[in-house]
Amino acid sequence: MLHGYAGHVLRVDLTLREVRREKTDPHEVMKAIGGRGLNSWRLHEELRRDADPLSPENMLLIGVGPLTGTLLSTSAYMTISGKSPLTGILGDSAAGGHFGPELKAAGYDQVIITGRSAKPCYLLIADDCVEIREAQHLWGRDIYETSKALRQELRDNAFQVAAIGPAGENLVKFATVACNNSRVCGRTGMGCLFGSKNLKAVAVRGTGSLSFADPQEFPRLCEELDRRIMAHPEYAKRKDLGSTLLMTALNRLGILPTNHFQKGIADYVDEVSGEKLAEIYKVKNKSCFNCNIHCSRYYVTEDDESEGPEFETLCSYSSRIGNQDLRFALKMAAYLNRMGVDSLSSGETIGWAMECVQRGLLTREDLGGLDFAWGNQETIETIVRMIVRREGIGDAFAEGTRSLARRFGQGTEEYAFHVKGLDMICGDPRGLKAFGLTYAIASRGADHLRAEPFFELTERYEESEKRFGTRDAADRLSDHGKAVLVEFTERQALLTDCLTMCKNVGLSMDILDFDFASKLLKAGTGLDFTPERVDAALRGIIDADRRLNFSFGIDASQDTLPRRFTHEPLAEGASKGQVVPVQEMVREYYRLRGWDKDGRPPDSKPE
Amino acid sequence: MLVLDPSKCSGCRRCETQCSFYHTGKVGRSLARIKVVKMEESGIDFPVFCLLCKERHCMDCPQSAITVGLFGEIVVDPDLCIGCGACEELCPIGAIELHGEFPYVCDLCHGAPRCVEACTMGALAFTPGKADTVSLHGGEKGLVCEEKRVQYALLSCQALRAEWVSGRNQ
Repeated sequence: MLHGYAGHVLRVDLTLREVRREKTDPHEVMKAIGGRGLNSWRLHEELRRDADPLSPENMLLIGVGPLTGTLLSTSAYMTISGKSPLTGILGDSAAGGHFGPELKAAGYDQVIITGRSAKPCYLLIADDCVEIREAQHLWGRDIYETSKALRQELRDNAFQVAAIGPAGENLVKFATVACNNSRVCGRTGMGCLFGSKNLKAVAVRGTGSLSFADPQEFPRLCEELDRRIMAHPEYAKRKDLGSTLLMTALNRLGILPTNHFQKGIADYVDEVSGEKLAEIYKVKNKSCFNCNIHCSRYYVTEDDESEGPEFETLCSYSSRIGNQDLRFALKMAAYLNRMGVDSLSSGETIGWAMECVQRGLLTREDLGGLDFAWGNQETIETIVRMIVRREGIGDAFAEGTRSLARRFGQGTEEYAFHVKGLDMICGDPRGLKAFGLTYAIASRGADHLRAEPFFELTERYEESEKRFGTRDAADRLSDHGKAVLVEFTERQALLTDCLTMCKNVGLSMDILDFDFASKLLKAGTGLDFTPERVDAALRGIIDADRRLNFSFGIDASQDTLPRRFTHEPLAEGASKGQVVPVQEMVREYYRLRGWDKDGRPPDSKPE
Repeated sequence: MLVLDPSKCSGCRRCETQCSFYHTGKVGRSLARIKVVKMEESGIDFPVFCLLCKERHCMDCPQSAITVGLFGEIVVDPDLCIGCGACEELCPIGAIELHGEFPYVCDLCHGAPRCVEACTMGALAFTPGKADTVSLHGGEKGLVCEEKRVQYALLSCQALRAEWVSGRNQ
């Protein structure tokens, strides 16, 4: 018997309206563990490579980790995967909260959704009872309203709901899926994928329970993890501010995206910081399932109230687009969550437009008469509303920055900050070289979470020497020793994602190592996960993702960064004079990863 | 009795997981005797558990299977209980609930409640010896346990909500 795992995979065909339960296969999970790994493996095995992302053939997967919903803290995530409507390559995005554990309690490790419903529908999962239900009455409603309405009509507030808002329905390419209202799968347009299947929501309730293979060892290991977390030097700060602590931290390092990465310092950062948010608007801590950090926050402002925001949203709607008003940023954060729009991608379209106007590449007339001056609140609100409804110029914005800039041309493409179609996160890579490499090679595009090489910020030189054979890996400004760091942390990040654990714990706090994770997996599931087997699985998945992306048209030429980050040094602050020599790093990374000079994994056959 | 400060609860549900694990060796909300009500639209997180109320509504058990234990906790006799669900219906706040035809209710872990230990927010406290101080009245009829818990949580958090919202225009 499998422990830890819930034991079943659920297959749903929305075209045929068929539902099938299969047993979770121990051989499969030894190769792919769970969560993002299992999703990737499934895509690799079953997805028709030429499927249009918005077609019924595309797959929508929800994966949850093998130890999620048990005593293991900080493992509450669920990962949604599919071929991305935004980028056309591998897409996935994870969210914490309480949905993942509920899916496990209902008996499922993974949900595989294919086809397209003729009419708006939602998927009801209540233990063994799975139904595709009519959702016409929910269509057009925002995410908060949808979750509330479903819980009311199901007469059970304990249902966990993952839903899309109007943006997903209108096939905005960077639409989100959210559970617990504000726990958002933001990246790569998984909400658009829901919308393309006419799927408004998944509502899940589980009355089951999870057991462990070793009832002595597993709780002991979980206690050990809890102790490591509580004893971490950053514990108190992370508990108070969550990821919003990065506003002032990145500003100090001179890498806080300001006016669309033209600067790395916002002199008004204290007005829009996590500290300010906590002081004025935070009313209490919020938490994912079974977490002992409680890093999320509930805030109440004059305009609205909500859980959140995380750093990426706060920065995307403050310094990145020149907005100095915290209250406005919070208002936008809540609006984006309600409508189901990704803050990073929408923020990048706005930042791009503002910079293009500043440089005289675009005029007000080009942009539907809107005044894209830095921080113009009226324009920001208006364009987001137009994106949600795909109205006027909003229709072009809703396609994402890459497509938007291609449409306008005239040199505007140079200011579209994406890799492989996915918009850059809020962290200027010129002062974070290993992050720069990560954005270039990450299998879903310009993203930090694929490797989160936070280690380069730690200045732990001795540990760096020990782990990587070079002190440079712990020096964020060094151009050297970064490929070796990223090659390692990419596996560590994938391990974290396979367990659907929190990246803060897995990487930023550097608490999850391979030996410890293997022990947890073995004691939890009863399967013979050794560090070697876990590592082999992780390497296998990274290669499989790469093959998948090659078959989607990616090649080595796209493993790069926008020109600004490779050629224009930062002008001031603690990262002054820096650029990212990305090509050298990428070549070194290929070598360490065991890929050829064209970035191909071994034994890659044409697919 | 257990005492809750809802202003400190982050809704992590560690109390639930530790409760179910301690009592059953497994983890699942249905096996927990403390259940956290979460209301995202108002930010409320509220663990509901037996308050050892003055009225002891559940003791109107038709089988007389329910008694009061050493710490004032509710004790269900498995030999007498037939799983009829009367106690579940009688409790006004949804603190006693059947799972697999047996009522699950807080037993204070024989004087060392695991939920208090599990709560790293300091939202839960244990006051030994204190019982029969809270008065609960029967609420709306015909509600299932989760609905009763929600109602009770909303009612109990009115002051907290008012406090949060009053900070708005300062």
